[in-house]
Amino acid sequence: MSALPTIPRISLTWLLVAQALVILPLLAHLPLWILALWLGCAGWRVQIFRMRAAFPTAWAKGGLMIAAGLGVYFSRGSLVGLDAGVVLLVAAFLLKLLEMRSRRDALVLIFLGFFVVVTGYLFDDSILVALFSLLPVTALLAALIGLQQSAIAQRPWPTARLAGSLVLQAVPLMVLLFIFFPRFGPLWSLPGPNDKGVTGLADSMAPADIADLSRSGALAFRAQFEGEVPARSELYWRALTLERFDGRRWSQSSLAQSPQTAQWQAAGESLRYSVVMQPSGQPWLFSLDVARTSLDSTRLMADFRLQRNRPVDRSLLYGVESWPQAVREPQLDAARRAVTLQLPADGDPRTREWAAQLKREHPHSEQLVQALLRHFNQQPFSYTLRPPRLGRDSIDGFLFDTRSGFCAHYAGAMTFVLRAAGIPARVVAGYQGGEFNPAGNYLQVRQFDAHAWVEYWRPQIGWTRVDPTFQVAPERIEQGLEQALSDEQSFLEDSPFSPLRYRQFAWLNQLRLGWDNLNYGWQRWVLGYQGTQQLELLQRWFGQLDGRLLALVLVGGGGLLLGALALWLFKPWQRERDPQQRLFRQFARLLARQGVHWQAGEGARAYAARAAGLLPAQAAAIEAFADLYEARRYAGEAIADAQLWRQLRLLRRALPWRLRVADKRTQ
Amino acid sequence: MNRRWRPHWDRWLARRIPASGSVRLTQRRIFIVPSRVGGAFMIALGLMLLAGINYQNSLAYGLTFLLASVFVVAILHTYRNLAGLTLKAGGTTPVFVGEAGRWRVRLESSGRAHQAIALGWLPADLQSVDIAEQGSVTCELNAPTTRRGWLRPGRLRVESRFPLGVLVAWSWVDLDQPLLVYPRPLPGELPLHAGADQQSPEQGRLAHGQGADDFQGLKAYQPGDSRRRLDWKAYSRGQGLQVKDFASYSGLELDLDFEALDGDIETRLSRLCHWVLMLSERQQSFALRLPGLYRAAASGDAHRDACLQALALYGSPP
Repeated sequence: MSALPTIPRISLTWLLVAQALVILPLLAHLPLWILALWLGCAGWRVQIFRMRAAFPTAWAKGGLMIAAGLGVYFSRGSLVGLDAGVVLLVAAFLLKLLEMRSRRDALVLIFLGFFVVVTGYLFDDSILVALFSLLPVTALLAALIGLQQSAIAQRPWPTARLAGSLVLQAVPLMVLLFIFFPRFGPLWSLPGPNDKGVTGLADSMAPADIADLSRSGALAFRAQFEGEVPARSELYWRALTLERFDGRRWSQSSLAQSPQTAQWQAAGESLRYSVVMQPSGQPWLFSLDVARTSLDSTRLMADFRLQRNRPVDRSLLYGVESWPQAVREPQLDAARRAVTLQLPADGDPRTREWAAQLKREHPHSEQLVQALLRHFNQQPFSYTLRPPRLGRDSIDGFLFDTRSGFCAHYAGAMTFVLRAAGIPARVVAGYQGGEFNPAGNYLQVRQFDAHAWVEYWRPQIGWTRVDPTFQVAPERIEQGLEQALSDEQSFLEDSPFSPLRYRQFAWLNQLRLGWDNLNYGWQRWVLGYQGTQQLELLQRWFGQLDGRLLALVLVGGGGLLLGALALWLFKPWQRERDPQQRLFRQFARLLARQGVHWQAGEGARAYAARAAGLLPAQAAAIEAFADLYEARRYAGEAIADAQLWRQLRLLRRALPWRLRVADKRTQ
Repeated sequence: MNRRWRPHWDRWLARRIPASGSVRLTQRRIFIVPSRVGGAFMIALGLMLLAGINYQNSLAYGLTFLLASVFVVAILHTYRNLAGLTLKAGGTTPVFVGEAGRWRVRLESSGRAHQAIALGWLPADLQSVDIAEQGSVTCELNAPTTRRGWLRPGRLRVESRFPLGVLVAWSWVDLDQPLLVYPRPLPGELPLHAGADQQSPEQGRLAHGQGADDFQGLKAYQPGDSRRRLDWKAYSRGQGLQVKDFASYSGLELDLDFEALDGDIETRLSRLCHWVLMLSERQQSFALRLPGLYRAAASGDAHRDACLQALALYGSPP
């Protein structure tokens, strides 16, 4: 290693800056005491540099380490797992700065810094975070450069500029690697970050949950159709079915978990589209009925939801083909029938009575459903996100007293009535609609598009979708939540700065849609660029693909890029402009190979004479070139360079291959 | 390096980078490999790639690829930091055995600036210098001396790890810059030649006696006294300017003789060296006799240096 063991000032400066930049985007995912630890360590370190404080003693270091470990344990509840691991890593990154004395310590710190940047990506991989992370990476590289600089260098900026230019020059090569480097599946499974903050549908639903979702403008997924986008009122994105009712909440039945194949027959036209899903922390995917996907480890369950074998904990791209007119489960087996007729043993007596009365009036299920929808439409029901509180018999309270609520209330009440009247029915939870982004020709579906609707079953016809909310607030289905709530002013009332609230300003809306389009591209082409996506792209470019071709492209492309960079860096055309000088240099190189080295200041004539003396066999060829060269250069005779080069070639042929005159002379 | 391959390697190097007083570092003369830090960097990249694979995280892949690309780009930058540099022999100052030998090496930039260029002889520590754009720097290199004669310190290592330290580019340069090392001066009796001027053995003894106690004391400085004999130590103690007074041998024809001494060759040369320095300091004329070599009596710096060189090179092939 180098002679100077201490850490140069520039390196320390950039390490401190890098530490701040590395930690900044992670702060939201770290406990608060990390912030205090960071400020304390950085302050202490600066004081050490100013000779106003000593390095921590072994006791102090041990104490700090134990304190950090305890801190992690108490704030994360464990010392293992990704969340605790990240906090530990960051704590180590901070404490290492304090005890850093030698260059080796600084190197460890810099590498730790790169790791912390990588773990930051696991929590947030948006385009802004990715761009921002170039700053800490550049600062870490600047610190690495600072370690190599001699102590004379004092100004920190040139070091950072050099680091920045290194990063910029590395970008083309990185893009090449990114596109062509083969992607593998996970080698072993690792715990993902616990996304407690992720909003989205859960596997059980009380009406208030949907109301919570309706207050969030967060993105749920984006969908891009091949061909026409279906009418908005057809866009019912199924996530899961809720078949169990306990008097208060609707939840997934145990039957939904059993691996049965869905019974259905494709009919009519199919729709093809791709979905880029945001991390949801749940295993189900969103699709229109009835869906089939090429995504591996995903299957269509018996209740027609798409289910993956593990939760979606990072954004996921999948292609789907859907048959909206398919006949679903024309025969209902006994178990499914029992589940879709299940009701609590007691409660809501008025509803049960009313259902029995409807059943008597309308013996056919079709008629009964129509009567029910008419009831919602004609009675004074209202659509609101701020419904009054309901008592113990919530369905009774909603249907006969308050008569105001939103989709979850309507879907729940209708399913209850249908079941009470002996018609198999269930609540379907998912999203409805979506906003079309003309900039990227795709739909963006947000959490406030969360919706619940009803499916009821008839013999031979199978499951039919029916949406009671449409009877109360058709604008919710046809235009969206914002229009449905235009009187109430409750749309996104908790987020006054959400750009979604200001869609009436055209330029702002343009900006918002453009930005979303950029993010969509980012997700599809960068974050989603994994195994199948890469394979598809490369096969489109190269047709049949094998490992040899891939290696060839990587090595060849890398060589080309590096060569171009070398040309740009060294600018060889500026070095030797004079063609005759080049000739002479070539001449000297030929003779040097024979052990006759040109000495600085030696004239062409003297050098040739010396060489001829040492290489008598080739004297003629040497003299011939020297004569020609002199005549061209000094006497100004019109001799073409080509002639000189020819003479040089003759000389090369005359010379033996590496005769070691110099060695003979010394022996 | 394997002992068996060492001569081959040296011969190959001698052909590739021949000894010369001025060496320009070019593509043929620069070698470059990843350093140990580079190895650690690659291991860290491997771990980051593992994280990218296991979490299927494109950004982790991206950062790994970016840093790997930076590594590759650093090859060009590390090479560039060394390429185009010219090293020139800047001369040496002869020293006595045991003193640190000093070589001056001039580093010249023919264009861009070169940062943190380290040079020296392994395994000793290298010295690090910066060279400004179109600028030049002379640096002094030290190496211990253990024996008299011409000291060739072997090939000079010039290396650069700048900018990232993950790669090391280096060259082995022979600036053909031998250093003359004189014998270590060793005080002792004055070895005068017996015979040529027909002196009796007793006279020789007498001369020896005088030689042993040649320093007679200090006397006050008089204008005209040799400045070389000023006693600076006494001056610094506040005792005023004083001159070291030596017994004068002006009456004798001094003829330093190798054969007049006992002991091994090196001790004899050391004794002679001491007296050459002593007598020169006193501006005394003397002659020097070595087997096969005679320097006629003279005085002055040129005579002294010639005598010292003769002592340094005694016994070595011409």
